[in-house]
Amino acid sequence: MLNRAAAIGIKLDGAKLAIVNARLEGVVRKMASTLLRSGRSGVLNRARDFSCCIVTHGNELLCAAESLPIHVLRGPDMMAASMVNYHSKLEAGDAFLHNCPYHGCSHPADHTILVPVVDGRGVHRYTVVAKAHQADIGNSQPTTYFGAARDVYEEGALIFPATRVQKNYQTIEDIVRICTARIRVPEQWLGDFKAMLGAARTGERALLALGAEYGWDYLEAFGSQWFDYSEARMEQAVNAMPNGRARASSTHDAISGVCETPITVSADVRVDNKLGHVHIDLRDNPDCQPNGLNVSEACVHTSAMIGLFNCLDSSVPKNAGSFRRIHLDLKENCIVGIPTHPHSCSAATTNVSDRIANAVQLAISGIGEGVGMAEIGANLPASRGVFSGVDPRSGKAYVNQVFLGSSGGAGNPHADGWLHYSHAGNGGMGYLDSIELAELYQPLYVRGRYLIPDTEGAGEYRGAPGKYVEIEVMADEVNVAYVTDGIQFPPQGVCGGEAAAGGRQYLKHADGEEQEIPAHGVLRLNRGQRLVSITSGGGGFGKPGSRNRSAVRRDVADGRISEQRARDVYGVEPDD
Amino acid sequence: MRFATDTGGTFTDLVIEDDTGGLALFKAPTNKLDPVAGVIRVLQDAADSRNQSLDQLLGTGEVFIHGTTHALNALITGNTARTALLTTAGHPDILTLREGGRVDPFDHATAYPASFIPPSLTLEVEERISAQGDVLTALRDEQVLELVEQLKQMEVEAISVCLLWSVVNPQHERQIGKLLARHLPDVPVTLSHELNPVLREYRRASSASIDAALKPTMTHYLGNLEQRLREAGFKGRVLVISSQGGLLDASEVAGAPIHVLNSGPSMAPVAGRAVTSDRNVIVADTGGTTYDLSVVHEGQIPLSRELWIGGPFVGHMTGFPSVDVKSIGSGGGSIARVDEGGVLHVGPQSQGSDPGPACYGKGGEEATLTDASLVLGYLDPGNFLGGKMHLDRKLANQAIGDCIAKPLGLSIAEAALSIVEVATEDMCQAIFDFSGSHGIDPEEAVLIGAGGAAGLNTVAVSRRLGCRKVIIPEVGATMSAVGALVTDISREFRAALMVSSERFDYEAVNRMLLDLSERCWRFIASAGSSDRESRIILSVEAHYENQAWDIVVPLPISSFNSAQDLQQLIDAFHREHYRLFAYSDEGSSIEISNWVSRVECVVGSDCMGRLSDREIVEIPSLRNCMFSGHGEVQASIYRWSALKPGQHYLGPAIIESPFTSVVIDPGIEFLRSDSGNVEVQC
Repeated sequence: MLNRAAAIGIKLDGAKLAIVNARLEGVVRKMASTLLRSGRSGVLNRARDFSCCIVTHGNELLCAAESLPIHVLRGPDMMAASMVNYHSKLEAGDAFLHNCPYHGCSHPADHTILVPVVDGRGVHRYTVVAKAHQADIGNSQPTTYFGAARDVYEEGALIFPATRVQKNYQTIEDIVRICTARIRVPEQWLGDFKAMLGAARTGERALLALGAEYGWDYLEAFGSQWFDYSEARMEQAVNAMPNGRARASSTHDAISGVCETPITVSADVRVDNKLGHVHIDLRDNPDCQPNGLNVSEACVHTSAMIGLFNCLDSSVPKNAGSFRRIHLDLKENCIVGIPTHPHSCSAATTNVSDRIANAVQLAISGIGEGVGMAEIGANLPASRGVFSGVDPRSGKAYVNQVFLGSSGGAGNPHADGWLHYSHAGNGGMGYLDSIELAELYQPLYVRGRYLIPDTEGAGEYRGAPGKYVEIEVMADEVNVAYVTDGIQFPPQGVCGGEAAAGGRQYLKHADGEEQEIPAHGVLRLNRGQRLVSITSGGGGFGKPGSRNRSAVRRDVADGRISEQRARDVYGVEPDD
Repeated sequence: MRFATDTGGTFTDLVIEDDTGGLALFKAPTNKLDPVAGVIRVLQDAADSRNQSLDQLLGTGEVFIHGTTHALNALITGNTARTALLTTAGHPDILTLREGGRVDPFDHATAYPASFIPPSLTLEVEERISAQGDVLTALRDEQVLELVEQLKQMEVEAISVCLLWSVVNPQHERQIGKLLARHLPDVPVTLSHELNPVLREYRRASSASIDAALKPTMTHYLGNLEQRLREAGFKGRVLVISSQGGLLDASEVAGAPIHVLNSGPSMAPVAGRAVTSDRNVIVADTGGTTYDLSVVHEGQIPLSRELWIGGPFVGHMTGFPSVDVKSIGSGGGSIARVDEGGVLHVGPQSQGSDPGPACYGKGGEEATLTDASLVLGYLDPGNFLGGKMHLDRKLANQAIGDCIAKPLGLSIAEAALSIVEVATEDMCQAIFDFSGSHGIDPEEAVLIGAGGAAGLNTVAVSRRLGCRKVIIPEVGATMSAVGALVTDISREFRAALMVSSERFDYEAVNRMLLDLSERCWRFIASAGSSDRESRIILSVEAHYENQAWDIVVPLPISSFNSAQDLQQLIDAFHREHYRLFAYSDEGSSIEISNWVSRVECVVGSDCMGRLSDREIVEIPSLRNCMFSGHGEVQASIYRWSALKPGQHYLGPAIIESPFTSVVIDPGIEFLRSDSGNVEVQC
């Protein structure tokens, strides 16, 4: 608090605020580009499943590089707080590994490096955070989304609750040896680990230089004013929303062997546009379950915020300042609350977590006209599964999450659903694997990948259509781990919009016969077997009859909808 | 005598190089409806100024070099041929699906982009080749002939063909090419493996489709240009500036017009390389709307495949290598605004040239960077662009007062300074990102300011970046056209052959390298410059095992005969990786995915010529200017042409030429070099 007091006398005008913010954004972009370009696993450098940000010494999110939304809104702040709690003395040269979902990490697969930025006088000023989803973390099964794990023990991940991995800028090799002894494809993990350390050190150096140039008090003053500015922007954005309260729910499928009954997540959302506050209550939800679908506290916060920010002006800064206008009610031992040890949070960034964002944006759609968003499609179909085995062409073992296709963008008051939305926590930020690279790096033969007609959630603004991906295995044995939903409960439409077609996974035999397979599992496929993965589309927004007629005709011409559907659902004669 | 023209969005630039190397610059408005008419017009202006007829002027010319935005404009306005795509069955949506990615996960107002070729013009060919090049499903001529009938019905004007793995085994694409040539002889065709042999089917399909779609219009445009030049009396050789930083014969461009998509901007770093021989050079070209960045490292100009037409993730990625130019929305016309929370932004929205900045008096009410510069005294209202336009300082004051000063609670002068500072910071951030991605530390680089608005804050940008030196070339306002005079005829040939350093296939690599060099020699023979110097430069695109993105590494040898040869490449890769990312991983194997040979045939000179029209010496005058940290001070106003080469001067100063104004902050020393450029040691 000493710094804050010293900083009180410093006032930055609107130009100075813009300049210091640009400098900090430059720092996180530099971190992100270091990580993106030097990382090894496909999850990191092809799916952009990583994030970089700056947290204040008071453990508040100040500035984040553009990344998958589920990574960064909350979590880095909570992890930084646990680092401060567990390590009374932070020194220059320290770095900490964190992946503990009970202490602020999203899920154990998101290995995170925290570096406290300590100035020349030994004062902790900021924490820089680099987080990257790993291809493997040593789980008992070769997957990082272990939906069936009854608890953290069966899940089997090594858990690091802010564990020191560098001192005096030297790596503590004990920790590295623990990891390489346990993690499949250890070189790949080590490559990503070094890349994260590199990114965090890049951020540390840049912040130390900034402190030397501006003075720490000036930066402190900037932080507090920038939070106030962000809060004001948030207040204005909420002022523009309709006032009211609504409740909505979003349901995750029952999956045999994971959760025997569907999981419905409800959100009670109250928008007070006079005070500029949004209140989200998630307490009326099921308890933690004996599976890997429990959502970590960080992801509960973040996912609820994603649902809200999906309904706001996108230029509102996302940091601890704007977050002041969001109030969340959670309870302990709740599947979308504060999970307690040893409940597993293995799939906490996707499945049930996505239901939170969806419930929030569906509820907001119910508050008034022209706001909100339909339901976004589900993640982790087999076309985004974790593939592993030995490649007969090189004789080498591999474990890779592939990104051959997802869909799911939901209709909203402004535009049709984004085609590769992936899922609520992703926001469409990830890359799509090219067929050629997928076949080069895994012994696969992708027989087809295309959009399926008539699968969009119809609406004035329609959802994205689903994708068909057919994969033939070109090795004696290939394992595919995945856990999807959106089959039993396809993405809903809102405000008169319709539901999209759901997902589906099956084996296609040579004679054309289709054999359904579970929505979850570690599938063992043999040479010549064909796996078909159909991803779910996104829900529609507004009545299909209100859709712009030329947009309907374009969809017909593009083969996205049939003439029959144009007539029956949209009320448009294609040939008019 | 040689002529170089560059048709930009606003002006058509002409540079004439006489036989002694002297340069003369001319600018005329671009004729958007008939760009060639704009070229003829500026040539006529030049002839008039020399008291010659157009025929006399052109008759003495050996080479006419043309830079054009015609291909780019055709793409942006959708004025391209009706083009069909033939692709592997099961994969009809390659151009729709693209490679994923998005700019802002919360921006739901921006719609997903339409594919470059609509699905209704995409046809599936029943065939398939594996990653190893084996035929999994054989191509059947009968099916292709059925597709030919459909293509006839569709009345397509161009066709692109992109089949999966055609870079490993091109036999199916070739067979389709043959059948199309026989059955649709008048329809131009682009085969993806020939044009752009690279892995990742979207990039290949995109470049082939863009190329095919441009063929009819570019064939017509270039034919028309050449014909009208001939009619006007030109008898020499017509060359076109390519996006790869070289020149190509017009006929070569008509065969693969994607080569000229970024024709003009590619010349900025080429000119920069001729301005200085420093190891690291950053070229910043400031226009009215954009700030274009490029770099030179040890004489090399990096290329990128990720050129987006219409913006990252929402436009179309060409996938075709072109000089890496990064553009941000910051320039003289950039609009300053204060948001609802009281924070100042400058750009990316721009007033352009119509209505333009408030001070143009053409109805613009928004405050722009140009208005701020006028208010601060950096521009002379009576002598803007050599007196071609009068600027209204009262209107600039009013716009800045209303839009910026009032909401920020600052004086008009403070508000104007703030606009320049924010714009400067945005430009600096863009340079940090861009030069960083090329492994260049701005502190170890020379910054070159080009473009009409460069002088306003290039010195400020360079001080903030800590650059060693700033150079504003005397020909900086026509940088692209000047660059064209110092570059070579060049072409790149590529082969996609994935090889690991662990299992290096010497025989296949040597065979492929031999084929690449033969293609270079054939090019040298056809470019007709065998009497002059030519060279072949080899490089590879490679990555560590499991990395997704390639880096370019110069290949130190031309064939691999031993483990030592391979080790040279491995060492070069580690060094370059270290330079770019500050680490290397000696324990990891290296995968090479592409092999590149660039052939260069010398046609021009190596060093930049001097302006030959010298003006008389004038006595400097004084003007009140505002500088950050100094308040209002009297700055010396110099005519650029009146500055004595080699003599040191001290800021505050403004250096004016008919094309630009250079602002020198108080206490900063500058000189005019022997080559006529303004140089500032920071």
